[in-house]
Amino acid sequence: MTSTRITYDDKTVRLFLIASLGWGIVGMVVGLLCAAQLSWWQMNGKFLETISFGLFQGDGLAYLTFGRLRPLHTNAVIFAFVGNMMFAGIYYSTQRLCKARTASDLLSKIHFWGWQSIILAAAITLPAGLTRGKEYAELIWPINVAVAAIWIVFAVNFFLTLARRNEPSLYVALWFYIATILTVAMLYVVNHLSLPTSLTHSYPVFGGLQDALVQWWYGHNAVAFFLTTPILGIMYYFLPKAAGRPVYSYRLSIIHFWSLVFIYIWAGPHHLLHTSLPRWLQMLGMLFSLMLWAPSWGGMLNGLLTLRGAWDKLRTDPVIKFFAAGVTFYGMATFEGPLLSIRAVNQLSHYTDWTIGHVHLGALGWNGFMAAGMFYWLAPRLWRTKLWSANLANMHFWIGLVGILLYVGAMWTAGILQGLMLGETNPDGTTLKYEFVETLKSIQPEYIFRSIGGGMFLLGFLLCGINLWMTARQGTAHDETVEVAVAASAHDEMPVKAALLGRPVVLLLLGLAFIVLWLLLPPHSDKAALFLAFLLVVTAVRAFRREGRQWNDWHERLLHNYLPFTALVAVAAVIGGAVQIIPSLIVNREKNVEGRLQELYTPLELAGRDLYVSEGCYNCHSQMIRTLRPDVMRYGRAGHADDFSHLGESLYDHPFQWGSKRTGPDLAREGGPLAAGSTLVRSGKRDNKWHWFHFRNPRWANADSNMPAYPWLFEEKTDFKSLPNKIAVQRRLGVPYPAMSADEIRQNAIEQGQAIAATLFQGEAPVSYEPMGDATPEQLTAAFAERKVIALTAYMQKLGAYREIPVTTPPKPVPLDPDSYRRRPPAAVTQEGSPVTTTTTTQR
Amino acid sequence: MFKRILVEDWASVLQIGSFLILFTVFLVSAVRAIRLRPEERKRLAALPLDPSEPDR
Repeated sequence: MTSTRITYDDKTVRLFLIASLGWGIVGMVVGLLCAAQLSWWQMNGKFLETISFGLFQGDGLAYLTFGRLRPLHTNAVIFAFVGNMMFAGIYYSTQRLCKARTASDLLSKIHFWGWQSIILAAAITLPAGLTRGKEYAELIWPINVAVAAIWIVFAVNFFLTLARRNEPSLYVALWFYIATILTVAMLYVVNHLSLPTSLTHSYPVFGGLQDALVQWWYGHNAVAFFLTTPILGIMYYFLPKAAGRPVYSYRLSIIHFWSLVFIYIWAGPHHLLHTSLPRWLQMLGMLFSLMLWAPSWGGMLNGLLTLRGAWDKLRTDPVIKFFAAGVTFYGMATFEGPLLSIRAVNQLSHYTDWTIGHVHLGALGWNGFMAAGMFYWLAPRLWRTKLWSANLANMHFWIGLVGILLYVGAMWTAGILQGLMLGETNPDGTTLKYEFVETLKSIQPEYIFRSIGGGMFLLGFLLCGINLWMTARQGTAHDETVEVAVAASAHDEMPVKAALLGRPVVLLLLGLAFIVLWLLLPPHSDKAALFLAFLLVVTAVRAFRREGRQWNDWHERLLHNYLPFTALVAVAAVIGGAVQIIPSLIVNREKNVEGRLQELYTPLELAGRDLYVSEGCYNCHSQMIRTLRPDVMRYGRAGHADDFSHLGESLYDHPFQWGSKRTGPDLAREGGPLAAGSTLVRSGKRDNKWHWFHFRNPRWANADSNMPAYPWLFEEKTDFKSLPNKIAVQRRLGVPYPAMSADEIRQNAIEQGQAIAATLFQGEAPVSYEPMGDATPEQLTAAFAERKVIALTAYMQKLGAYREIPVTTPPKPVPLDPDSYRRRPPAAVTQEGSPVTTTTTTQR
Repeated sequence: MFKRILVEDWASVLQIGSFLILFTVFLVSAVRAIRLRPEERKRLAALPLDPSEPDR
């Protein structure tokens, strides 16, 4: 057997480790600030008055508001902290498992510096209000392109390393890395498809329901394939190393991998339960989420049982402590996830802090502790020394653990309490017992506990930073050199075609296809499909009896051939995505709008909507009244039966703004019909003056509100110049705007702005604006017509405006009723067989 | 092909369909895992513990 000498590229690992730690602390500091903002509104900028000794004056600072910082927190933790940690783990373990140095040092450098540049760009653009308005997908389109390019660099470097490996077999950790690279690429590209309107702004190609589905298909699987599968790979590599014994069951790891990869991708719709998403998709999301219990717990048990015989190390080894707790938190989070996907539970938990608690159970407990364990294991090896202080690492563990428990316990309590209060009615059952703000006030103690818990977790990582810094200082950077055997047995000789067209795969896919056809085809043809599926099973059994040994070899060869293996993983991931996305393209058509079709935004309202997105209002306000009695009672209109949000009401929203958390109330019915005698001014739930005062100081409307003040909306001008281009892009996306010239668009916006401003400054009880104290009402009207507060008010007053579409002729089969238990309005039921006619009436 | 997806009884057959798919995947991967040769299984499980990399 020949051997070769290899020096691993550990410099890249060191860089990613340092970057992860640094960005992680930044992300946690921002998170702590966001948490404090929910308790003390002054943390949105007013606190600067105190710490600058009066140099800064104002009730808020745009760059520091919760709506802009929360995306920075989530992106920093996901992509900067966990992303860099994941890359450090992958680069370290892949080289060792392949017994080969990373294929290209240049690609590694491009990957590292490119990724840090992306993070830096995000840290600048997000507080500046440059966002796409979709959670965890907020970064603007040029950064999206950069992310895709750097991901390709990473993938090429990884797969080239696999191609040059000296170890024929692919260890299970590498499988998880392969799944991560492929699936994240697919999810990221699809969910970021956008049409730019400028260098910093774009509209997603999907709108309304489609956008919601694609977003949560992505959002859920960002958790699955960015925060879970790579960390599982890291677990399968580093846990055995730390415990000094092989993984408990390699068989279980195989089942864990395939089940997890196949099931995870289907579960996204559980983020949209009780919304206007079609019921079958909701059921799909719920069922596959429940099925996730099995592989997730299989993986957790495999991890914990790997420690069998090494439990004594828990007393002394901080690495084992972090890994054992991290894997336990993985088990807890993956138990809670499916639980929250059950429709009855989700009814209570959704839009509350319970979800926030769940997310942080995974992010702090699973990702944070696995990262810490890996850092403490890696640092002495990367700097060729001993860990500076095991005691400090132990202190980090205990402070972090208590912090997590405080955080998660507080959020569970807050979520359940608020959820119950929001649904509670008075004894007669006809009115709700609590105002929204009363429920918010009741959970303030928990919010403070959350900040304390988060602060403790941050403190733990600061200790980690000190410990690793001192470890690096006392040692010297070291790239390990080893003598490895050159692969003797054949590998990578299996063509992709042979793997994909191998008899086991073909029979399996055909069998599944015919079973699906049995479900979908009309009577009689479905029986034929079932019969063919049965024939395939018989064929498969006979073939297996004849060539069972070859099938076995086929699978074992697969474990030595990375390209066919990668192709099969791609097939598993694509199936789950296609099943959800393709039907939604059909669902979101105008004929399936449930009798309500969204009214188009005027140019000024569209500008206001872009401001709503830019300020990150969706982080606290939903625009989705669920098909639940408490939701309809609280947010629906009196005298309107079944006044939940219908599918057609957000058909033209690019991006959709259904939201995922209600720190403030739902806004789906905030707007209203045109005011009597006006074609420009609307009369919503609250009048224009209310919005004026509320944006200036939310405490004016309610002393217990924790919403930030928005003083800059009163000073800055709305960007009217970009409107023609934005409307042109909306038209290309299928929003049926009439043809308008740039002058018409601008004129239309100014006229509506003036009309709304006139309701504020003219007539009875006009509002005043101190900085323009000497101005006449006409001057104020002219000045404010183009200011942001008026555009945002115009948008608020338009929310929920739709036209009624009496759809006649239920054809055969019955066209989509997104929730079969919903009652169809009487107007929609007409004589069968008459032609489909769509009439339009002004509803509001 | 998708017309049955748009009808009301789709939700009622969904549970069966999704369970069948999952069960097939689970069964196939379980069979593959069980039939893995013991010596190969042990070798694969020990890959991270390769003695060529000294522990500290």
